[in-house]
Amino acid sequence: MVFNSYTFVVFFVLMLIVHNLPISWKAKKINLLLASYIFYAAWNPPFILLLWLSTVVDFFVGRALYTQENKHKRRVLLVISLIGNLGMLCFFKYGGFLLENFVQLANLIDINYHPAKPNIILPAGISFYTFTTLCYTIDMYKRESKPVAKLLDFSLFVTFFPHLVAGPIVRPPQLVPQFETERKATMQQMLDGLLLLSLGIFMKVVCADTLLSGAADTVFGSGGRMGALDAWSGVLAFSGQIFFDFAGYSTSAIGVAMCLGFVLPQNFMYPYAAIGFSDFWRRWHITLSTWLRDYLYIPLGGNRQGTFRTYINLMITMLIGGLWHGASWTFVAWGGLHGLYLWIEKALTERRTKTADTPTGDVPEPVIATASMAPAIKIKNKGFIGALLTFLLICVTWVFFRAATFGQAWALLRSMAGKVTPAGPPLLTTIDIIKVLVVISLMLIFHWVMRKTTVLKTAAKLPWWVTGTAWAVMLILIVLSQGTGKAFIYFQF
Amino acid sequence: MQKQVPARAAILALTLVLTFIVSWELYLRHRGAVIDYDDGPELYAHVRDMVYEPSDKATVFIGSSRIKYDIDIPTWEKLYGTHAVQLAMTGSSPLHMLDDLAADTGFKGKLVVDVTEVLFFSHHGNEDPDAGISYYRKRTLAQKASFILDEPVEAHLAFLNKDNYSITGLLGRVPVKNRPGVYPFLNFPAGFGVTEFNRQNKMTPAFVADTNQQNQVKGIWGLLAQDPTPPMHGHDLDSLLLTVKQDIDKIKARGGDVIFTRTPSTGMFYMGEQKGFPRAAYWDRLLAYTGCKGFYFKDSPVTARLDCPEWSHLSPDGAVVYTTSLAGTLKQAKW
Repeated sequence: MVFNSYTFVVFFVLMLIVHNLPISWKAKKINLLLASYIFYAAWNPPFILLLWLSTVVDFFVGRALYTQENKHKRRVLLVISLIGNLGMLCFFKYGGFLLENFVQLANLIDINYHPAKPNIILPAGISFYTFTTLCYTIDMYKRESKPVAKLLDFSLFVTFFPHLVAGPIVRPPQLVPQFETERKATMQQMLDGLLLLSLGIFMKVVCADTLLSGAADTVFGSGGRMGALDAWSGVLAFSGQIFFDFAGYSTSAIGVAMCLGFVLPQNFMYPYAAIGFSDFWRRWHITLSTWLRDYLYIPLGGNRQGTFRTYINLMITMLIGGLWHGASWTFVAWGGLHGLYLWIEKALTERRTKTADTPTGDVPEPVIATASMAPAIKIKNKGFIGALLTFLLICVTWVFFRAATFGQAWALLRSMAGKVTPAGPPLLTTIDIIKVLVVISLMLIFHWVMRKTTVLKTAAKLPWWVTGTAWAVMLILIVLSQGTGKAFIYFQF
Repeated sequence: MQKQVPARAAILALTLVLTFIVSWELYLRHRGAVIDYDDGPELYAHVRDMVYEPSDKATVFIGSSRIKYDIDIPTWEKLYGTHAVQLAMTGSSPLHMLDDLAADTGFKGKLVVDVTEVLFFSHHGNEDPDAGISYYRKRTLAQKASFILDEPVEAHLAFLNKDNYSITGLLGRVPVKNRPGVYPFLNFPAGFGVTEFNRQNKMTPAFVADTNQQNQVKGIWGLLAQDPTPPMHGHDLDSLLLTVKQDIDKIKARGGDVIFTRTPSTGMFYMGEQKGFPRAAYWDRLLAYTGCKGFYFKDSPVTARLDCPEWSHLSPDGAVVYTTSLAGTLKQAKW
């Protein structure tokens, strides 16, 4: 079930009604859990079994990890959890990719091996809920928090429908305590939640699907050889589309949870206003970057084992972060390019200053405290130009993220540089190009203006009629888009 | 200073949205807009479900836009006595639809395949059929539920018309010049092709009466005729015919039956088609190779006289005449 569908509207209204009935908190939690299973089963009912398996195994293994004193048994339990979670992820998400690479390797050394292509359906959101459950068992192993006492609360933590299929990736301490006492949205939370839900759907339906996806699909579906204007328009369009699509989902999820009285963590903080790449990763998919920092980068050694290891750890983290997004080497290249950017930024910063561990004042402290995978950097030459340069370099990485093959990515990069001759016929209509330029310009301006604040703070500061009119414009444009039901890009990850 | 989003902002937003929707709907109705269903994969999938009715209960139609205009479904159902399951897709080749039905062992019924030569004898025009077939195969419970909820909304609001009144449709009509060589937005008049819930397309009375709008469509045909792709021939054609025959044989082996139709076109459009795809080399060869019967509009004195207002599709009145003639001929032939 997607947020931008009639089914969800009915589902959500029913949820709000039942959640506000005068029934016990336990009954409300059971209702939330059943509704979350229905929400998930509406895609593919059999995959509910995987979700149950993951939930039950991790609940009991997590508890045993916390209480077990024998070191060897604890390790065995951790391995069981890792194999269970990552094994499932590997089979469904990376099974075909691994086999394909194995076959290529075998053929390379003259072994004639051609197995049938596996027909594996990727369960929606498996990468997200695997990371959610995985962090719980690792926390239990490290005894960083107490085990969840009730299976109902743990099941709801894993399955809570707003975050289930595309995040934000929540940690047990962020959500489980909210299930312990009765939660019901105040009128204010309801209004804030509805505003965020409207904004999220506006970002997805109007900005991503209606205004940008056409140009992005045309350019990335063309093979890659074209003029620089078309190439840049397509890449800029995808840069906007991926942001609006994913941030739109997160914003909707936070809004939906808020309408029910729950708070989910922020996942985006105007990433295209980032000055530099470590700043970008403190603003883009914050819950993933903090997950990778805490459960990969730091366990690898982080920056505690010297400069060389820090660089290596950083690159490993970014490469795996790339692979998390999809079973293809182009995603790994995307992660690798980000790793390279972070290397260069780190090297330049280290040359400029020896005291590069003070957080920047541009981003709210809580975000820095929880989101920084790379060491926080004091940015001296901050400014719009810096943000623009960062944005353009990030656009280059999106080429690898969206292109189907390295050949296409390379052809598109050459097209962006104006190096393809002959370039082939022009692709995009003038209106398409204007749409991209207007939307991307407005997006960059909004990101820059909003980089130190939030939507809700801004909406509350504005005169009520300005907020009301802006809200109405968003809703009217959603209605005029007439584009319900299109899946979010991140569902495939 | 306020610290929270005020309730009156929400009330204002709701009021403005409702005012806009009512005003926009009334304005478009005043301008002649009618209920026009989105002819996307969702509606296709809904109709696709009906192919499993037995052959004495349903007849399936595939092809391009012509048969969507030219088969008047109520007339067909009244005269021929079976449900008309309209699966044709505008601007598309029917070949992937044929593949899909041939591979579906549950389909054992009667199939009418319409031939618009430039789309049928081609490797292009498969995007929409592929999208529809893929959507049908992967359709989720949530998508089915959304379709059920969407239908009554679409049935009452004329502004819900993706081609003409969505942001994409409205912006596409802004007269901005494109760079030479860019494939343009095809600005069909709103009354040219209204889609009904059964997927039949109809021209509005205003379109049938307005030669300016008809000429606008003729202009688009002229633009599309500039496509330099030569007509399919040689090995490509042989290979295509073989695939078609294999698909038809599969359907026949299960007890189904297939017939080809060539729906009317007129004027410059028909002349161009005859020049590019001579009947003997394409239509006649198709029938001979597949062993299927065919109904070519020129072969019947009634349908040969029909006129297409914009050279390629029949008006609603013309569709009734064509359907009556086709149903009568097929009944007579005991098909």
